[in-house]
Amino acid sequence: MFYRVNMATLAVSKDDGPQYQGLGGRALSSRIVSAEVDPAAHPLGAANKLVFVTGLLSGTGAPNGGRMSLGAKSPLTGTIKESNVGGPMSTKLGRLGIRGIIVEGLPNKDVPYVLKVTAAGIAIEEAPGLKGLDIYDTAAALQKQYGAKAAVGCIGTAGENKMAQACVGFTDMEGAPTRQAGRGGLGAVMGSKGLKAIVVDDARGRPVSFADEAAFRAGAKKLSGALLAHPVTSQGLPTYGTDVLANILSEAGGLPTRNFSSGRFEGANNIGGETLHATAMERGGKTGHGCSPGCIIRCSNIYKDKKGDVLTGGFEYESCWSLGADLGIDNLDDIALMNRLCDDYGVDTIETGVALGVAMEAGVAKFGDSKAAIELIKEIGKATPLGRILGSGAEVTGKAFGITRVPTVKGQAIPAYDPRAVKGVGVTYATTPMGADHTAGYSVTANILSVGGKVDPLKPEGQVDLSRNLQIATAFLDSTGLCLFVAFAVLDIPEALEGIIEMCNARFGWQKTADDYLEMGKQVLRDERAFNAGAGIGQGDDDLPEFFRKEQLPPHNVVFDIPKSELDKVFNF
Amino acid sequence: MEGAIELRAFMGLADTFRERGWSNPRELVLPGPVKGYDLLALLDIPAERVEGIFINGKVSLPPVAVINPGDRVALAPPGIPGPYRVLLGFKRNLPAEGGT
Repeated sequence: MFYRVNMATLAVSKDDGPQYQGLGGRALSSRIVSAEVDPAAHPLGAANKLVFVTGLLSGTGAPNGGRMSLGAKSPLTGTIKESNVGGPMSTKLGRLGIRGIIVEGLPNKDVPYVLKVTAAGIAIEEAPGLKGLDIYDTAAALQKQYGAKAAVGCIGTAGENKMAQACVGFTDMEGAPTRQAGRGGLGAVMGSKGLKAIVVDDARGRPVSFADEAAFRAGAKKLSGALLAHPVTSQGLPTYGTDVLANILSEAGGLPTRNFSSGRFEGANNIGGETLHATAMERGGKTGHGCSPGCIIRCSNIYKDKKGDVLTGGFEYESCWSLGADLGIDNLDDIALMNRLCDDYGVDTIETGVALGVAMEAGVAKFGDSKAAIELIKEIGKATPLGRILGSGAEVTGKAFGITRVPTVKGQAIPAYDPRAVKGVGVTYATTPMGADHTAGYSVTANILSVGGKVDPLKPEGQVDLSRNLQIATAFLDSTGLCLFVAFAVLDIPEALEGIIEMCNARFGWQKTADDYLEMGKQVLRDERAFNAGAGIGQGDDDLPEFFRKEQLPPHNVVFDIPKSELDKVFNF
Repeated sequence: MEGAIELRAFMGLADTFRERGWSNPRELVLPGPVKGYDLLALLDIPAERVEGIFINGKVSLPPVAVINPGDRVALAPPGIPGPYRVLLGFKRNLPAEGGT
């Protein structure tokens, strides 16, 4: 079932979406946006649409099947955007039989609206009391009104102020809004539509049906078995979370430090997963926290301050890096506070950290000054002129201050892996239709791609082929509603991919092969690139900023040296 | 210290260092070049607890790693998430003879 919500007329309609059958997650959101949104439309205008969709496996109880996708034309990049998020909402939507909610038009009245989604349908309710509230207070108010079990997705003041890097915050299993559809400014699109929140209550929802339930259960068992057996998904991530990568990337010389001026941070261990884990345990916090129903990997966490009060959650590597190493800051408590502020105002931690790094490069504050960084983030919350610059992202910040070392692609900040020292991810940053996005090339399917033994992170050979295959596999996986991290087990345990394929086939009665699903991934990329071309963003934009090719990155003193002509071969399929 | 390597340990191996009262990083004097498995034996760390060995910021694998005095070395156990196991070289096919 698909719902359409028109914010101009406040009308709600529903249909079966026959044109969108066989699609889920990123494949579905990108198909809807590319089919229904004029690529030339202004992202904050009436012609843009904001879509919330479930994955192919949402609501089925598939292991780690709790992701949902948001899509629109991005105000940050001007490209098509899919931003996906954990939490219980996708499971609840799946149990209500809802595959997509398409929000259209602009409101005629200046009042925040809430979409209330239940088994009875969707109601649009005015919520004047939520105006000006940030995300934690918004979520609390909505849980008080609609019940603690309701899943909430909402924007903060950054979204209300239509800042180009505003995110959408979602509640986790405990009801705290620690999950974000972070990238690309979809919170600003939501704000433009006057939509403060979406609330989903799945009471009287029904179990998802299967074409072959026994086959689905067998596939699910294969995947869960792999996730429980693999050291990444059963040991590394549950214990240390994604922030275990801080020490690893620093050691590899690929941890962007002080606005991408070095690849190694002397304070990496102070902000890394080992320290985060030890601190969380000491203060009664938690690692091994699952963000969505059926999560086996449990890479999330709950981080408390020195007094033992919860400060933040879902404290990930990307945030510890962007608000830490990229700013020369190694005080984990201050970084946690910054993470909380970003989550509360509703801005992307990656974009915010990189914007602050650019501002520090300009002398707005000194690298390493965590107290100054906290105050800068508060400017975003106050929507001062400086806060609006930072809230518009790293590229706008660079232009505002006349800085040349601005690490963005297609207007979106480059994440936590320097492309000079990890060249494969550099190819993905340069070419993905999303703008710089590490998760666009995250899915490793060794048995199909024959990866291994081919790439040296510091050399250009083999990186284009690897990135192409990673992007295709990731585009498929992002369409299932599975967490991308299941891919880590896929790399070493063939049964994991078998299980994923068997679950998708059994859910719908398909007989698709791995090649068929990879074709789905290719089609996602074709849809997205076609939209971008219509928006005037083409192959010429598939490159990294100039400084990556000219400035050597210590300690390996390498530049990004994959020729543009090679980057242009990524989508040769 | 002449002849010493600067040795780091990550994830659960960092706990092992702490439990043994070792600093992290730790200086360790080597008499000369040492192979990966020999270093682990010297440290009394089971081979299965180490997936990759960083030598001066580049990943090598225990069966083929050679550590020289003066090197910056880090031990990484199985459990490194992301495609970075591939992109950084943790997951690779070992060459038939030698190499890293």
